[in-house]
Amino acid sequence: MNRRSFVSAITPVISSGLVIAAAFLVGAILLSLLGKNPLQAYHVLISRGLGSSFGVSETLIKMAPLLIVSAGLLIALKASVWNIGVDGQFLVGACLAGVVAPKLAGAIPLVPMLFISALAGVLGGMLWGVIPALLKVRYGLNEIITTIMMNYVAVYLTSWLVKGPFKDPQVVPPQTAVVPEAFRLPPIPFTPVHIGLLVGLIAVLVVYLLFRNTTFGFKLWVLGQNPRTAIHAGMRVSRLTVLALLLSAGFAGLAGANDVLGVKGMFQGEWNPGYGLTGFALVFLARLDSLWVVPFAYFFSFLLLGGEIMARSANIPVYFVDVLEGLMLVFFAVGVYLERTLAERDRRRVPATQGG
Amino acid sequence: MSAVPLEGFTTALLSAALIAAVPLLLAALGETFAEQAGLLNLGLEGMMLTGAFAGFFVALNTNSAYAGLAAGLGAGVLWGLLFGFLAISLRVDQVILGLAITILGAGLTGFLFRSLYGARFPTLDVSLPKVAIPLLAEVPIVGPALFRQQVVVYLTWALVVVSSFVLSRTRFGLELRAVGEHPFAADAAGVKVFRIRYLAIAIGGAMAGLAGAFLSVADLNFFVPGMTVGQGFIAIAITMLGKWKPGRVFVGALLFGSLRSLATGLQVVGVAVQPEFILMLPYLGLIVALVLLAGRTALPGALAIPYERGRR
Repeated sequence: MNRRSFVSAITPVISSGLVIAAAFLVGAILLSLLGKNPLQAYHVLISRGLGSSFGVSETLIKMAPLLIVSAGLLIALKASVWNIGVDGQFLVGACLAGVVAPKLAGAIPLVPMLFISALAGVLGGMLWGVIPALLKVRYGLNEIITTIMMNYVAVYLTSWLVKGPFKDPQVVPPQTAVVPEAFRLPPIPFTPVHIGLLVGLIAVLVVYLLFRNTTFGFKLWVLGQNPRTAIHAGMRVSRLTVLALLLSAGFAGLAGANDVLGVKGMFQGEWNPGYGLTGFALVFLARLDSLWVVPFAYFFSFLLLGGEIMARSANIPVYFVDVLEGLMLVFFAVGVYLERTLAERDRRRVPATQGG
Repeated sequence: MSAVPLEGFTTALLSAALIAAVPLLLAALGETFAEQAGLLNLGLEGMMLTGAFAGFFVALNTNSAYAGLAAGLGAGVLWGLLFGFLAISLRVDQVILGLAITILGAGLTGFLFRSLYGARFPTLDVSLPKVAIPLLAEVPIVGPALFRQQVVVYLTWALVVVSSFVLSRTRFGLELRAVGEHPFAADAAGVKVFRIRYLAIAIGGAMAGLAGAFLSVADLNFFVPGMTVGQGFIAIAITMLGKWKPGRVFVGALLFGSLRSLATGLQVVGVAVQPEFILMLPYLGLIVALVLLAGRTALPGALAIPYERGRR
């Protein structure tokens, strides 16, 4: 590896590191302006989030849905299909899994029960994803707007479903029947972390292999790089677009099933963890690189948990994490500009030095 | 039907619809300017929330509704200029930037609100004067709804005419559309592409901020984190539905303003519909409307494409 290629390989890592540092710095300034102590806040964040076994295992548990959602976002975003509808797909998937799982629990053995419930989640997500996908290829409607609208529809629809037809009549609050503890996702041996984490890691690995080793992945990549090239190469662009959004939505639904089967044990009305925009920020910070998504998923999971910890222990509103996420995305965009400018300057120097 | 007389109810519903349409209309008109100049501002939602918070904060501390509206507008301009700097000068991806601003606007306002007021929800004790237009306000049913409104509402309607005139009849409007369609040709013809785009996004931000401030200061008199519930995105869709014509944008805003106010209206008369279904209506209706009306519309030629001198 010569110097130039090493530099270009390491640049994104340094760049994303700087992006995170810049976001935390601006966050610290904001905290000071409001009379809060940023050092104390960050100390709480790191000591509880990274320095305690509780923090680490909770981070790993929260990492599962982020990994699964990101696997789906990778497929869509690499193909330049802007699936902003992850939240809606997640909710519909979670709701269906929450309906199916308690009915099957005890009726059939654990493994097929979990498998079928997860499948219900995937189908729920896909059901929500296929609508904007078809609207895009059939009517040319931009998927950014339609997927966002579908998010709001999903919030109200699932809230109504668990108030009405899917409600557990035994309890007062609007929710599905509870899955008994024995029928939840089992822990990874010798850890308190449920196997959803492994599902997430496998999901990301599958997407990595999809783009590395398959023609389908290659076609999606070409579509993402330049749709006109894809058309000229005789690819069925409409079909690819629908599949990209469908797969992406399926993963979002699976993440919903993961949270129902692994953490909550049921689907509650007006519950919306909002992994969509977090996943969006995460996947871009990882530069749409499947393997880099794993450490970034850990980092963002750490942030989400840290937000709750800071809210409880340092009296800092949970919205602070959204501020950091937004800042990271803004600085990410600036970082891409700086890299491009530096690369151009580098290229202009090449003729003089006969290639570095 | 309950005891509410039909006539009064119709008037109330119509009036609520007109007020609900105002933030959508303002934001969508601003977006029309931005998109006509080639900038896709997906950060509208975040900008509206910022305007809503800034307006609320200033109105609460000064007890002046006008100061609140001005603050919302100012906050919107700041966002617009930031968006402009990043999208025009640094040529960053506008979709990523827009969503970043949406997250940041929602996060920042929620964070500030909770930091300043904790779990309290202070309400504003300000109001904007209502003006009754003589004679017209006396017309039964529609009169009081249409012609006994806050001044701001009339000003928004006037803005439709002004925007339409500016975009289609002035040199600035012509240059703006040229910049959005063929920035290279416009530049060659001596149009200041960068300056026009900055102006367009500043207008877009100002209107989004004002739209948010109208919501918190003039309409509801309070602020809640996330109170825009997707109205920024609805406004973007209304812009597309309106095919960047202020008159059509006005119709779209009225339509979706009515859908939004229907939820409250039906509850008042006691019609037994699940509230979730009515709350869903604007979002579902929008998708249907886009299918029926928008379809493969011709977007401005250079929408969301950064301009760089000397490179095609």
